Amino acid sequence: MPVWLREHSWRQTLSAVHLSLPLRGARATSANIFCSEQYLKVSIPPFLFEAILYAPIDDTNSTAKIGDGSIFFTLYKKEPAMWDSLTLANADKEKLQYLRENAVLKAQEKAKEETEAKKITKQEHKKYALEATMKLEEAERTRIEDLKEKERQKVAKELELWKNQQKDGDKYRITQKKGELHQEIEPLKERKNEKLNKTRIPNEGTSKTRLKSTKGCRDSCSIFSQNLKEEQLPAPRAAATIKVNFTPRVFPTALRESRVAEEEEWLHKQAEARRIINSDLSELEDLKEEEKNPDWLKDKGNKMFAMGDYLGAVNAYNLAVRLNNKLPLLYLNRAACHLKLRNLHKAIEDSSKALELLTPPVPDNENARVKAHVRRGTAFCQLELYTEGLQDYEAALKIDPKNKNVEEDAEKIRHLIQGTMQSS
Amino acid sequence: SAAAGLERPQVVSHAQQALSYTVFDCKWVPRSARLLCLGSAARGTGLIQLYELRGARLELLREIEKPKPIKCGTFGATSLQQRYLATGDFDGNLNIWNLEAPEIPVYSVKGHKEIINSIDGVGGLGIGEGAPEIVTGSRDGTVKVWDPRQNDTPVANMEPVQGESKRDCWTVAFGNAYNQEERVVCAGYDNGDIKLFDLKTMSLRWETNIKNGVCSVEFDRKDINMNKLVATSLEGKFHVFDMRTQHPTKGFASVSEKAQKSTIWQVRHLPQNRDIFMTSGGSGSLHLWKYEYPAQRSKKDSEGCEMGVAGSVSLLQNVTLSTQPICSLDWSPDKKGLCVCGAFDQTVRVLIVTKLNKI
Repeated sequence: MPVWLREHSWRQTLSAVHLSLPLRGARATSANIFCSEQYLKVSIPPFLFEAILYAPIDDTNSTAKIGDGSIFFTLYKKEPAMWDSLTLANADKEKLQYLRENAVLKAQEKAKEETEAKKITKQEHKKYALEATMKLEEAERTRIEDLKEKERQKVAKELELWKNQQKDGDKYRITQKKGELHQEIEPLKERKNEKLNKTRIPNEGTSKTRLKSTKGCRDSCSIFSQNLKEEQLPAPRAAATIKVNFTPRVFPTALRESRVAEEEEWLHKQAEARRIINSDLSELEDLKEEEKNPDWLKDKGNKMFAMGDYLGAVNAYNLAVRLNNKLPLLYLNRAACHLKLRNLHKAIEDSSKALELLTPPVPDNENARVKAHVRRGTAFCQLELYTEGLQDYEAALKIDPKNKNVEEDAEKIRHLIQGTMQSS
Repeated sequence: SAAAGLERPQVVSHAQQALSYTVFDCKWVPRSARLLCLGSAARGTGLIQLYELRGARLELLREIEKPKPIKCGTFGATSLQQRYLATGDFDGNLNIWNLEAPEIPVYSVKGHKEIINSIDGVGGLGIGEGAPEIVTGSRDGTVKVWDPRQNDTPVANMEPVQGESKRDCWTVAFGNAYNQEERVVCAGYDNGDIKLFDLKTMSLRWETNIKNGVCSVEFDRKDINMNKLVATSLEGKFHVFDMRTQHPTKGFASVSEKAQKSTIWQVRHLPQNRDIFMTSGGSGSLHLWKYEYPAQRSKKDSEGCEMGVAGSVSLLQNVTLSTQPICSLDWSPDKKGLCVCGAFDQTVRVLIVTKLNKI
């Protein structure tokens, strides 16, 4: 239960009310004071002061001074008039409640408005700061551009100046030269004749070229200046050849460091392929062109198998494998031959090799894989290794569940196994 | 900071010209504000265009069409009065033209069986001493040196040994032409080989392999005792060799730099300062470099042989001008900082590099 503070004193003027509230030893801060237009509350637990004011006040401008053990309120009246009393006399509980709630709501609204206003001012400040920075940067940029432009113009001017100097210089040189040469023509001719006799240029070839070049020139001045210079020049070099060796490179393209690794790999693969082909070069030389083609040999083998010549087929497949040991079908077909020839271990080997080469297991090589498993399974069974055989048959079924033959054979094998287990 | 950045040389774009053909080479005409563009027209003929720099524009003065597309050209072997242009074309022909009367070449020879990729000239323009000579490097694997006074046969022929498969020669350069007898030719090939041929002794003086096809080689000066050689290659690398000290087994010392991911098509040294050079790249960029010499240019190895010490290279500036490779570059020998470059976007650009005096 709060302790009501009832000892308060107040004075009023036309526009303001001065309220003094003694605090009995309690300390007050602004948080303890709650004020709205017509409601004032001071709550310092356990003390409580509450007042429904006679008339509305301007709560934003009103002040509260805390000190000396009391709070001194200066409340500015909304309407300047003399109040009969500080509080409303006939304040009933409901009105009190209503006013209280209203006050709270109003206070909340005010708080919201204040935060809104704060946000807006903050944004405006930010915007202003941004614009200021942009202006500064712009100024800097234009300054640099101006410097560059000045530089450019200066340089362009210098260039023009230089060009004009060149033109003048050329003209001057031409006129000067003409003057000089006219003076020198006679003594030059004499000197030239002398020099021709003891010329350093031995062979005819060059005198011909000298004639040729004089034909090309039109200006008489330049003939003389050119000849003068020619006589000071050494003769053309004695022709010779230097033989050159290059750092070896297989590829016709230019060398790039980043491609070296790729190129090495390619060369390696080529070398390996060639090695396989060349392994029994002497024997292979006896073969005809078509007999060196693994596919042709495979077809031949297939035909022989169909005709029942199992040994012949095996030979054909053998040769094909020597030429290209990466074709799974060769091993597959050879396994079939071995089965017929009852070379069961070889059949197993070849089926296994075929399966190895038939990775990755994809729908394309389903058929081949089924065959491989079946053949190996058959071989196992004929060796009476029924469990291994069953494994292979089941693998085949897994690939192709709809194959009736395989299913039936698998059943048979299961019975066989059960039979032997029962009997043993 | 921005201020420090502005103290470095700037590459200022002065003028540019859109062309209606593929330009392979561009060269300043010595002692003038005129430049030449050499290339290949759409219909498979060769084009030589002469432009003059007028203000901020290039004005076309003359256009000459030739039967075969032209790949490269040089003024290096001609006198200042004549200013004849030597060109190599796609068919392997070396021609020397008088641009005042270009109908018939002053010199012509079918020097190679395949395209002449690169050409250089020495002994002309009042630079250096000795006979004027032109070197051409071709796709047929040979490098040939020609004297314009001798028809039909080269004065030097660097060809593959009998039976050896050839490699494309992509670039050639003259060097060491400091008196009448001395001269070397440096050639770069597509398999990364760099070979240095001595023309005085007619022998191979040095060779090395830089692991990437060699796009461009240039000595910092043709007419001095060979000082530095820059070789650029595929994969954005270039090497600077110190050519003053040759070790019997290790050859020349070098420093290499990877400028960018794409091919470095050309390197050109500033005629007025041999330690500054520009590289042009396959990504359409230009990089300006400065070479700094080490404290000691040579030192003795463990056996007491002299070997060179390479310095360091620092980037002064770089700029991207185009999206296509800049395939040719030429500094003006008369105005410091003025240069022209041609790119595969069919544009020729005149640039000015500022503040080179302050380096």
